[in-house]
Amino acid sequence: MNPTMIAQMIINGILIGGIYAVISIGLNIIFGVLKVINFAHGEFLMLSMYASYWLCALYGLNPYIALPLTTAIMFVFGVALERILIKPLLKAPPINQLLSTAALMLVLQNVALVLWHADYRSLTIKTFSIRLGDIYISGHRLIALIGALATTLLFYYFLMKTDTGRRIRAVAQDPEVSSILGINVPLIQTLTFGLGAALAGIAGALMISIYFVYPTVGTSFGLMAWIIIVLGGLGSFIGAFVGSFIIGLIESIAATIWSLELAKAIAFIVFLLVLFFKPTGLFGEKARV
Amino acid sequence: MDLKSLKIYIPLIAILFLIPLIPMPGYVMHTLILVFLWAYLATAWNILGGFAGQLSLGHAAFFGIAAYTSYFMLTWYNISPWIGMFIGGIAAVALSIIIGYPCFRFGIREVYFALATIAFAEIMKDIFIYLRDITGGSLGIWLPHLGTNPLYFQFEEKWPYYYVIVTMWLVSLIIFKGMKRLREYLIAIREDEDVAASIGINITKYKLLALAISSFFTGLGGVFYFQYFRYINPHIAFGLETSLEMALIAIFGGMYSLWGPTIGSMILTPIAEYLRITLGGTYAGSHLIIYGVLLILVIRFLPKGVYGFYERITLRKLTSTVARKGE
Repeated sequence: MNPTMIAQMIINGILIGGIYAVISIGLNIIFGVLKVINFAHGEFLMLSMYASYWLCALYGLNPYIALPLTTAIMFVFGVALERILIKPLLKAPPINQLLSTAALMLVLQNVALVLWHADYRSLTIKTFSIRLGDIYISGHRLIALIGALATTLLFYYFLMKTDTGRRIRAVAQDPEVSSILGINVPLIQTLTFGLGAALAGIAGALMISIYFVYPTVGTSFGLMAWIIIVLGGLGSFIGAFVGSFIIGLIESIAATIWSLELAKAIAFIVFLLVLFFKPTGLFGEKARV
Repeated sequence: MDLKSLKIYIPLIAILFLIPLIPMPGYVMHTLILVFLWAYLATAWNILGGFAGQLSLGHAAFFGIAAYTSYFMLTWYNISPWIGMFIGGIAAVALSIIIGYPCFRFGIREVYFALATIAFAEIMKDIFIYLRDITGGSLGIWLPHLGTNPLYFQFEEKWPYYYVIVTMWLVSLIIFKGMKRLREYLIAIREDEDVAASIGINITKYKLLALAISSFFTGLGGVFYFQYFRYINPHIAFGLETSLEMALIAIFGGMYSLWGPTIGSMILTPIAEYLRITLGGTYAGSHLIIYGVLLILVIRFLPKGVYGFYERITLRKLTSTVARKGE
């Protein structure tokens, strides 16, 4: 293996890591604040990819211009879903939450299947790539990475510096005390769920020019997001961010050396090992949201 | 079993075995076979998921490994699937210990256990796709066609499969019903692990035992599935959807009882088949929408499943009669 290949491998890992970061930070904030196991997060991504696809295919929009719209659609979807399905689940045992959202996953996937069939769809967008010596970087992937980093930074700033962000962090730490301090906890929970879905919306809009969309496209991303946030430490923002790039790099390295299937398997094995030997994850407990 | 319950069970069993004598269209027979297949699989899942309260969402791993093992035994060594079935079951048990031992040893519980089992089944799926030279990869495997060959578990007609699956289902229920002590231990573990440990129940041992039994029977079901459908691929064999279907049927019917999973399958499988036939090609997947919605409603309003709800009503009636008589 020559240095060019190694560099290419690392760059690919970072590029996919950025996408993972946006998805898993959304999942993580939902878990951190609502303590709810959302198994349908990958399906939020799938829906947002479809939303983005149809906005562009039907109205001729550019996916990057449609991004705010996709994000807004997913935010509204998230808020509505939280009110209808998630709120009554908050006091239920974790297993029931998991099962309900797994059932929701089946529903969303198959609604997509019934509405849009199993076809693999993609937008016909001009692709371009940037060349650095012998290394190629796909333009859309680079835009996705930049978009992902910008989103992550903005979201971090929002959580750390704004009033609403502070409220969200307070509820994540202790909902009861927050409520005593006058924070409207149910409202913050609804808002957070909406934001988590909106982050999936951003990810979907960034991904539509790279990936095909089909009804089960979200499943593997959803599973990966779970793996990443357990790896990083449930509820830890930094953990989810770093974990995304670790998993991205593992996948890219294993895919270059062996194959894509094996790369997924290795990511799952790493997840199991972390679960067994360091159940709090890499950044668990220390750097909570 | 006492005399009174025998009086109920024997005619019921007799009816089950007489059903294929009634002339019926092929799809009705097919639906009956599926009802008992899923009742059987959900019952097997329930040993671990319901009684021991360890929510596995990776049972497809055991289902799949047994189906593939039996296929390899047949094609490599010409071993009949009747024997291959049990070799497959043992392979499933071996696999279950690989994932179960570290999970229970390191105290992986609840959601983490569910995630670990999903990851494990996904690993199996990816490995079976990767080893395409041996396993046929994503394209899957077809059962070599042998016509009607009872010694090799192949029939041209459907009714023999009905007898096989009804027998498997009955035997598994009788075995689980017989294991009263084990069931009580498992329930104790489910209700409170620390208390169970404090009264001297070896938690890891009994969880592993439940997992091993559950995976063995799930494996036999996987072989039956392959013999009946004659085709399987890694996505069916190890897919999350297969695992979820076992779990959802059991939970829908009632995961805290022996009969719940069977009730679940008797309600859900015919609905699924009906939708598949009537909506079929145009609305593939619509049965899973109904499953999902029904399940969300059941978890929210009847957390003990349909059977649990039935039990609650009959119990209430019983107590009110007793109360009236006492007056």
